[in-house]
Amino acid sequence: MSALRTSSSRVLGASFGARAAMLPTRAAFTRSMATVSETPAEPEPRLKTFQIYRWNPDTPSEKPRMQSYTIDLNKTGPMILDAIIRIKNEQDPTLTFRRSCREGICGSCAMNINGQNTLACLCRIPAESSADVKIYPLPHTYVVKDLVPDLTYFYKQYKSIKPYLQRDTPAEDGKEYRQSKEDRKKLDGLYECILCACCSTSCPSYWWNSEEYLGPAILLQSYRWLADSRDERTAERKLNLENNMSLYRCHTILNCTKACPKGLNPGKAIANIKLAMNSS
Amino acid sequence: MASFARPSMLRQTAMASRCAAISSVATRAAIARPAVVAAFHTSSKRPAFLPPGPLNDPAFVPEANSAHGSYHWATERLLAASLVPLTIAPFAAGSLNPFTDAILCGAVLLHSHMGFQQVVTDYIPKRGWPRLHKAFWWALNLATVTVGVGLYEFETNDVGVTEAIKRVWKA
Repeated sequence: MSALRTSSSRVLGASFGARAAMLPTRAAFTRSMATVSETPAEPEPRLKTFQIYRWNPDTPSEKPRMQSYTIDLNKTGPMILDAIIRIKNEQDPTLTFRRSCREGICGSCAMNINGQNTLACLCRIPAESSADVKIYPLPHTYVVKDLVPDLTYFYKQYKSIKPYLQRDTPAEDGKEYRQSKEDRKKLDGLYECILCACCSTSCPSYWWNSEEYLGPAILLQSYRWLADSRDERTAERKLNLENNMSLYRCHTILNCTKACPKGLNPGKAIANIKLAMNSS
Repeated sequence: MASFARPSMLRQTAMASRCAAISSVATRAAIARPAVVAAFHTSSKRPAFLPPGPLNDPAFVPEANSAHGSYHWATERLLAASLVPLTIAPFAAGSLNPFTDAILCGAVLLHSHMGFQQVVTDYIPKRGWPRLHKAFWWALNLATVTVGVGLYEFETNDVGVTEAIKRVWKA
């Protein structure tokens, strides 16, 4: 309806509208039809090509390949997730990926976009460059299909750090475990992690030793519970990291901090764990 | 997690490429194996998709050992930090005595040894290549001892490390 928004048509529309109030209804109808029938100018299509990693478990003899899809950015939302949802809706319903909240809080749409692990819903389509956008699943993961990685072991590792409050003494008032404002502040930058696995799968140490090394995401969570003033199993939690694999495969590469789509700093959390391990 | 898909299709693919695996896995793979399987692009020797044990069990937590954990890490850092003053001291003091030389040599040797140990642990992990891991581990030990003996000979029968550097260094 952009034609109606031009100033001339708006003025005309207003004057006709005013007159139409006095004229018989039939005359007003014909005039307004004439205004609408002006064809609005199509904006120049802004085409963008997306190269997406495809692998189908139903045809295991076929190698993974890159498939190109071209869409018009004028008809698409600003984010990569909007684009791939559009591709799935309109061009190829077999394209498979995880998505849920579309606003960076569920961590489902983690993927490797133009060489950077990030959430597709928080990543803008680079509209200014004409280069193709390349989308791969998270690196060094087993691929279930297309952009869907297998995160089973990642979750098993998360479970192994016991990510819940462990206490023996009951609360003083019998209702809730209280915490000072300063102690609560220690959890800022830790509790926001959504476990999207962007950081872990960007870590070379995790690529080589993911069976034993916990990886930045799980270690950040580990520190979240070590830093919690209400938790009473700090010693036990530290003991679980006292080996050469779980924690000390971190060599401060800091890809994790660079990758985190939530702007957290897993590298700093790991450094804090290392200091805490030696300070007791 | 698309776990419904796993038992039927994915396991075949994952297992067929490495059929001579663990016995239970091998029997599973034997039930249905596609004739041709594209090279599974992976460097890992772990069977694809399914880690051992029930899927809802937590991952294995290794036994605690501070000598391999926090103490090891602290030793590494202290050693690395101590190299800075040890390197500067003999030149700053102006006196080159064999005692500071010996400490510097020992620290550098230990520092490089621990550094290379990390490399072996990272790239030739025990779980994937136990024999190769052992071979490299002992080759490293041998190299360290050889260098140690060499440095000892250099210190006792020749001019010593700091003096040698001083002679070579023409800045």
